[in-house]
Amino acid sequence: MRALRAASLRHLLRHPAQLALALVGLALGVGTIVAVDIATASARRAFELSLQAVNGAATHQIVGGPRGIDEQLYARLRSAPHPPGEPRAQLAPVVAGYVTVGERVMQLLGVDPPASAELDGAAASAAPAFALHGAEEAREWLTEPGTVVMSASSARELGIAADGRFELAVGGVRHPARLIARLEDAGAGFDALLLTDIAQAQEWLGTVGRLSRIDVRVPAGAAGTALLARLAAQLPADLALHATRAEARETFAMTDAFTTNLKAMSLLALLVGTLLIYGAVSFAVLQRRSIIAVLRALGATRGEVLAMLLSEAAVLGIAGAVCGVLLGLAIGRGLVGLVAQTINDLYFVVAVSEVSVPASVLVKALCAGLATALVAALLPALEVAGSSPQLGLARSVLERRALQVARRLVIVSVLLALGALLTIAGSSRSLLAGFVALFMLLLSVAALTPAALRALAGAAAAIAARFSPVARLACADIAASLSRTGVAIAALGMALTAMIGVAIMVESFRESLREWLIQSLRADVYVSAPGVAESLERRLDPQVIRALLQVPGVRAHSEGRRVTVTSSAGALDLNAVHLAAESYAGYRFTQGEAAHAWPQFARGAILISEPLAWRLSLAPGGRLTLITASGPRAFTVAGVYREYGNDRGEVLMDLEAYRQWWHDEGIAALGIYLAPGIPAAQAVRELRSAARGRQALLIRSNADIRALSMRIFERTFVITRVLYWLAAGVAAVGLVSALLAWELERARELALLRTLGLTRAAIALLVVGQTAFMGVAAFLAAIPAGLCTALVLTDVINRRAFGWQIGLHLAPAQFGNALWLAFAAALAAGAYPAWRSARAPLASGLREE
Amino acid sequence: MPGAGAHRAAVAVWAGALAGALGWATAAAAPPATGRVLPGTAPGAGFAQALESRPFVFPRDHGPHPQYRQEWWYVTGNLDAASGERFGFELTFFRFALAPPAAAGPAATAGADMPGAPGATPGETSAWRTREMYMAHFAITDVARRRFRFAQKLSRAALGLAGAQAPPLRVWIDDWSLAGIEPAPTPAALAPWTLHAAQDGYEIELTLEPLTAPVPNGAAGLSRKSAEPSAANYYYSVPRLKVRGRLLRDDRPLEVHGLAWLDREWGSGGLAAEQAGWDWFALQLSDGGALMFYALRERDGRRDPWSAGTWIAPTGEARPLANADVAIAVTDSWRNAQGVRYPAAWRIEVPALALSLAVRPVLPDQELKTTPHYWEGAVDAGGERSGESVSGRGYVELVGYAPER
Repeated sequence: MRALRAASLRHLLRHPAQLALALVGLALGVGTIVAVDIATASARRAFELSLQAVNGAATHQIVGGPRGIDEQLYARLRSAPHPPGEPRAQLAPVVAGYVTVGERVMQLLGVDPPASAELDGAAASAAPAFALHGAEEAREWLTEPGTVVMSASSARELGIAADGRFELAVGGVRHPARLIARLEDAGAGFDALLLTDIAQAQEWLGTVGRLSRIDVRVPAGAAGTALLARLAAQLPADLALHATRAEARETFAMTDAFTTNLKAMSLLALLVGTLLIYGAVSFAVLQRRSIIAVLRALGATRGEVLAMLLSEAAVLGIAGAVCGVLLGLAIGRGLVGLVAQTINDLYFVVAVSEVSVPASVLVKALCAGLATALVAALLPALEVAGSSPQLGLARSVLERRALQVARRLVIVSVLLALGALLTIAGSSRSLLAGFVALFMLLLSVAALTPAALRALAGAAAAIAARFSPVARLACADIAASLSRTGVAIAALGMALTAMIGVAIMVESFRESLREWLIQSLRADVYVSAPGVAESLERRLDPQVIRALLQVPGVRAHSEGRRVTVTSSAGALDLNAVHLAAESYAGYRFTQGEAAHAWPQFARGAILISEPLAWRLSLAPGGRLTLITASGPRAFTVAGVYREYGNDRGEVLMDLEAYRQWWHDEGIAALGIYLAPGIPAAQAVRELRSAARGRQALLIRSNADIRALSMRIFERTFVITRVLYWLAAGVAAVGLVSALLAWELERARELALLRTLGLTRAAIALLVVGQTAFMGVAAFLAAIPAGLCTALVLTDVINRRAFGWQIGLHLAPAQFGNALWLAFAAALAAGAYPAWRSARAPLASGLREE
Repeated sequence: MPGAGAHRAAVAVWAGALAGALGWATAAAAPPATGRVLPGTAPGAGFAQALESRPFVFPRDHGPHPQYRQEWWYVTGNLDAASGERFGFELTFFRFALAPPAAAGPAATAGADMPGAPGATPGETSAWRTREMYMAHFAITDVARRRFRFAQKLSRAALGLAGAQAPPLRVWIDDWSLAGIEPAPTPAALAPWTLHAAQDGYEIELTLEPLTAPVPNGAAGLSRKSAEPSAANYYYSVPRLKVRGRLLRDDRPLEVHGLAWLDREWGSGGLAAEQAGWDWFALQLSDGGALMFYALRERDGRRDPWSAGTWIAPTGEARPLANADVAIAVTDSWRNAQGVRYPAAWRIEVPALALSLAVRPVLPDQELKTTPHYWEGAVDAGGERSGESVSGRGYVELVGYAPER
């Protein structure tokens, strides 16, 4: 056995490049998984912390419609006589909104400290971890205007002066504020949080008399349930009582489709990595057939040989996984920012300041690395261990076998493709099934690539034979090298397919979005109050609206109010609009007829966007129940319109109907139509000067909004790009590794060619030409496969994840990256062997064996 | 810090406010180096000061005095149930202002009675703006079950969540209240009150009927606490209130009756830096007499010469007691789980009244772990007055023993 181990070790050490490349392939695969897990876990953790910071010990919340809750209800609930002997629900009022400090959006949380203390259950004996200085802060908090508290780290980041004075803006209106206490070690949950007294919050947010919610804490168990039932019975019809945990789940679930997509991308990288490990290990095993045969002849048992090979693979797997985890930690740190940016762009405000690395992620990654290596090594190891101890197999036998395998793989490929089709046909909504089909498709491509390469090389050899015997030889060589290069080529083909598919999908999406923006942004200039999209305090001052509409050149306008309402299906975004005549054309119906839908809309029916229709399985004629100020009411769906701006979907309602049902007179945005001949830029200047000094508003031309939307779109796909480059990187490394090994092994063959008269340059050209051919072959195979993948991504994955339909849009540029990568990888793989073969002294090359 | 929340942060802010609630109590408990007497630079700046004695007018003076910084309504009593079980109860309401009433200084810019805050949206002032807080403590001593339970409420005086008014008197936080019965059937000073409070496991619903008119303490109602003239409160007691009502224990009603004591103080001053706390005794004796005495303690443990009290004879006639009139010896002590030692038995001698009493708590642990921690509990008394043997019940309050946290 010692001889076995020595043989094993010596072999690995004699081929450090091969070893290193196999390691890099595995490490990249594992690393990508770790990075994505870390990034999503960090975003999730930051979100949970901020919710915890916002909710504290509350188990439930009383929430209202867009206008919140009448504060008198809270006073009534508190002083209501209580049935003797029953436990009490702890209640604490909260007024929440968003403010801007400098460039940064922060959540403003107005609390009533005594009620909060009671809710928190912190008996006065439990000393708070960040105690303030006592009575003086309490006095300032309560009696001085503009006093706030925030985490010390936020204060540092915002550069707040020692005297604590700064300015904050609410919906474009500026207010002086003063920081009276900095919470040290407040934790990440406080990163985007500004605490102030409930009175101050109401005044700043313009919600005097209203509460955003009432936090509730009830004991666990039957007593708590009874308490909740009684509390719910005391609430007016427009208020709802629900568990905070449910709300947290629901909120974070918004990002499910997004994080699922990320995980799928990272799995792709590992899948490519698995194929490469398989290639590397089987190659290493094949190289040692003769040594193993000798060892077997010397008495090593099959079991011993198998154990040796598998333990090698295990060492490789563990080493690769460890490197992968380290790599993943590094990549993950970079990815966290991208994930957080996307979540902020698309879903909700979350500040991720800490990278959290759950132990489970690391364990999972180590196991994945080890399992990948073992599974990849098992087949070749079994084969070698099982063969009789004769002195190796002839190369020709090996290649014949590889050819058989390639043929069998064609059948596998066809079966996989059929399986993918059946999976898609057999499921209509499941995103998971969509991804399964996608992976089957990619594996199908991988399985087909070796045969395709062989066929291409065969054809090329036939053509090349007419020109030069050397070229013919080179082509035939490729076809005969499948046992060495087949797996690497397959991996490259798969990665290129994914790249092309994603590129087409992104481009198609971009085009659909661009068309939609042109079509839906009808007004010339858009005016909105700054702030977080659906927040209530985001509204235009009525006087400012009047002033804006009096600006010369303003011909017509639309009005809009965007709020979050509660529905039978959870919280929904509601867009209440009063449309100018021109604006109606901005909505394109995907279900329902404009001619019928708009009159119904004017009478109080709702329109819903495509993603919402998909998510709730609603169609025109269906009904959606929304909780209005006077209780639940079912609204008829008059039509479904195309919308790419909000992947959760939205409800469109007539502004008059909204006001009638929710008693909210606010307007958050205007769409302004200009008289003919008035340039938008000039109108923007004039509108800005009309609002100056009253309210800081976002006043932007149609073109600006379009450009901004496209910028956000590009930003959200940065992460996708990063991931597919990682997957492609794994494939490229694999190809380099396989080709390098193959070419080095061929040293003798090449030396022979030189003795036959080939110049050094010709040898180099031969080698590089061969590898380039392989790269191009993989690329050619990937083109049709990439198109199929793009179809699955747009029509299956995107549809199922977000509900919107994207028209396929093709452009040559989409293939550019894949071609470039294939070519670069192939050239890189050929360059060193070419250089080496060309320079190697003839004698040593021939003597090698 | 997982588990922390905005509500928790709010607690941190209010740890201070709670400390402020007990006014001079906490100021005394704080070590002088860090001890801020109370919010504001000069204690009581901008507030009315209790400097001269004044006649009390009832029922008006049962109600709040918002021009003074702090004020309390303090009811303690001993109850007997029909079952023979014995209980003690304490229900206290504190009012304290964080800023003086309107236009009294640049700091006082908030509140319904103040001009619009510069940061506020013009014309819209939140109903939550206030300068006053209310705090209440409710404690039950269940002698038979050897249980002591307490609860605390703190609330701003806004939206009707907490407040005080008179006449008729009503002081409340949420559903805890002390209220005059209207229309008052008897002379104003003797009008009965109702009292209600609840905590986990215990709830009381009591009617209090004064058996004597309010008794002014100190110099005709002006009770000075130190050499500093502003360190004084207006102070009166109703030493005997007949109690009837219902006590709910674990959901089971018990009919109870007994005797309660009401203390009322308001003022704007605080304790002097060298004063550490006090021991307060309120004893109702079997012969109809009643004794109130507060022994102020200095940081070095000596008794402060400004300690004082009142003797109310069975006839109802009140007699002020000076520091030198009363000798108190601690005869036992009790240590809480944190190692803080409280006195737990006393011998009180008042030679001028020929009064000698041994006082002992009905339970050793009657410590309220509120902010600050203090001990307030039901006691038994026994001894002699003018050669006759007397017994009695009452309440003792021990402040300033637990270290300030």
